[in-house]
Amino acid sequence: MSGATGSSTIEAHLALGIHISGLRFAYKRGFSLSIPSLHIAAGEQVLLAGSSGSGKSTLLHLIAGLENPDAGSIQIRGTDICALHGARRDTFRGKNIGMIFQTFNLLQGFTAIENVMMALMLAGYSTSDQRSRADSALRRLNISDVNAPVENLSVGQQQRVAVARAMAGEPCIVLADEPTASLDPANAVGAINIIKDAARATGAALIVTSHDPSLREAFSRIEEISDLCKAEVQR
Amino acid sequence: MNDMIIVLRSLRARLLASSMTVAMVAIAVALLLVLLSLREAASQAFRKGTGNVHLLVSADASPLVGVLNGLFYANAPANPISWKKYQEIKESFPWQWIIPTQLGDSFRGSPVMATTADFLRAFQPSSGQPFQFASGRAFEKEFEVVAGAQAAAEHRLAVGQKIVFTHGTGGSREGGHEHADHPYEVVGILQSTGSAHDRAVFTNLESSWVTHAEDRKKHGEHAEESTHAHDDHEGHDHDHDHDHHHAHVEIADLTDDDKLITGILLRLPTRTGSDASASIGPQFDRLRRDVAISVAQPAQQIGRLMALVGDIDWLFVAMAVVVLVSSAISIMLAMVASMELRRRQVAVLRVLGASAWRVFTLAITESTLIGLIGALLGTVLAFIGSAVGSAILADRIGIVIASAIDPRAAAVVIAGAVALAALAGIVPAITAYRTPVARHLKPIA
Repeated sequence: MSGATGSSTIEAHLALGIHISGLRFAYKRGFSLSIPSLHIAAGEQVLLAGSSGSGKSTLLHLIAGLENPDAGSIQIRGTDICALHGARRDTFRGKNIGMIFQTFNLLQGFTAIENVMMALMLAGYSTSDQRSRADSALRRLNISDVNAPVENLSVGQQQRVAVARAMAGEPCIVLADEPTASLDPANAVGAINIIKDAARATGAALIVTSHDPSLREAFSRIEEISDLCKAEVQR
Repeated sequence: MNDMIIVLRSLRARLLASSMTVAMVAIAVALLLVLLSLREAASQAFRKGTGNVHLLVSADASPLVGVLNGLFYANAPANPISWKKYQEIKESFPWQWIIPTQLGDSFRGSPVMATTADFLRAFQPSSGQPFQFASGRAFEKEFEVVAGAQAAAEHRLAVGQKIVFTHGTGGSREGGHEHADHPYEVVGILQSTGSAHDRAVFTNLESSWVTHAEDRKKHGEHAEESTHAHDDHEGHDHDHDHDHHHAHVEIADLTDDDKLITGILLRLPTRTGSDASASIGPQFDRLRRDVAISVAQPAQQIGRLMALVGDIDWLFVAMAVVVLVSSAISIMLAMVASMELRRRQVAVLRVLGASAWRVFTLAITESTLIGLIGALLGTVLAFIGSAVGSAILADRIGIVIASAIDPRAAAVVIAGAVALAALAGIVPAITAYRTPVARHLKPIA
């Protein structure tokens, strides 16, 4: 566990990064997760490592406000996302959190630029801003045919579109859930570097989950979920 | 990017299912609008056709049949009324006008009404709206004819043209031969009245009497010749190739037996500005005592007919409403069926910042849009359908029904279809609203 020591450092985290305290979550089927404390600074890049089913994705979902914890708080830029409800939480997520998935979860039937524009629309960007921001985000990631339907793009291009979609709104946090699980090792490192560079360019904190040991070298801060928290499987 | 684009893309992604549901809504809306418009138009056409006549005398089996035959040209009346009877009725009361009519011949399927000039002058096909000429004038002497607007258009008749009538109506058993000896000259074309009279042609009684008297005379002589010659062929086939010189008949030669009519239109004196007369009831009762004739108050008969068929056509309207509700259910089923696939899309939208309420409204918008497109398409279909329906009715039952979609009815039906479609979207919208986001973000196994 990385620790933030001293009250001034914690305040800085509270203001710009992520501060988790006393987090408890349990699925009805028996899995439970308990994280006493975790601090991630603004712009910091963290690899959340652990075996499959250890709770990495659950933690990301809790940070994104997609699951409700049983106890504790998750402060993002000083706002406890757990205390937000309904549309306010969704709006907060749209504006402050970008997510990247193993299978990209791009919207089929839409073009590359439309996938990015949709994220910008939901983040509150005006119609006139959406296209220019989406276009530049895609071109930064070397997607030239921005009007191609996403199902016509290669796997690598689809991943970059997913990265562009997560980054275009300049969120303060980017959560990448097993982003390289469908890639071979050579491409996995390249994909991680793309995500890291994009996050660095926008100054967003980055949390990447992976059970792939080959990615460890790419991160200066690695958190083992088993060390970080008390993850238990109760049967 | 906006919500409407998301909805349109969703519809496009399921193009076949979307098209089918839109088509179902369109058909249901069209069916409903056509039925409503034809129902109203038919009612108006029937009421309009009786015009300003108070009583109709015929020798038909029932008053309603008399009205349908005599004013709507449904069939040629089977039984004639003698000229003597006409004179008797004429002299029995100081009528405002009394008009004898005779039906039986046709011109290329259009009924021919032989009558007096009063028919075109005094009878009003729609009360307060007399016949008006688009061209030419009324018939003034024998073998002149005036064509109704639809008949003129259908047969491309023009003033000055010569035409020949056929004995009997197009589909009648006794008909078939032409009165080729007596061509008629078209002297006038009427403006459209929106009534059954538009499809008829009119001439004077004397012309018809002379033609039929000659016919009877020829047939009698032919039969006589056949008998004398011991010709072994049975009956005759209305072939008029034989010499006709000896069959010529003048008006002066007509006897009362030749002067047959099939109907008498009567109007009683009324006060200025009023269409009703207090004498209608007593005169109706007086005339109906005569068992040789059938007397009808046309407006009353049509009112009864409308009341009779009214219940039946409401059944059709109810069926169309059921089809509309079924189409709404099909929207719901199509959306629910696709929901499992779309839950991932919903989950992604939620991750990107869409609220549960927003995905709920997206689903409702989608179903509403299906309803709206279907309803608008259905309205266009209804315009086409009602025009086709009017043409078929005019052709089959001889009633000119100027079907027009009532904008208020169309607005109500469109609004109803859209509301039903929106309701149909509630179930899939709730499913979208309640989609567990985290679960549907996981890779598909």
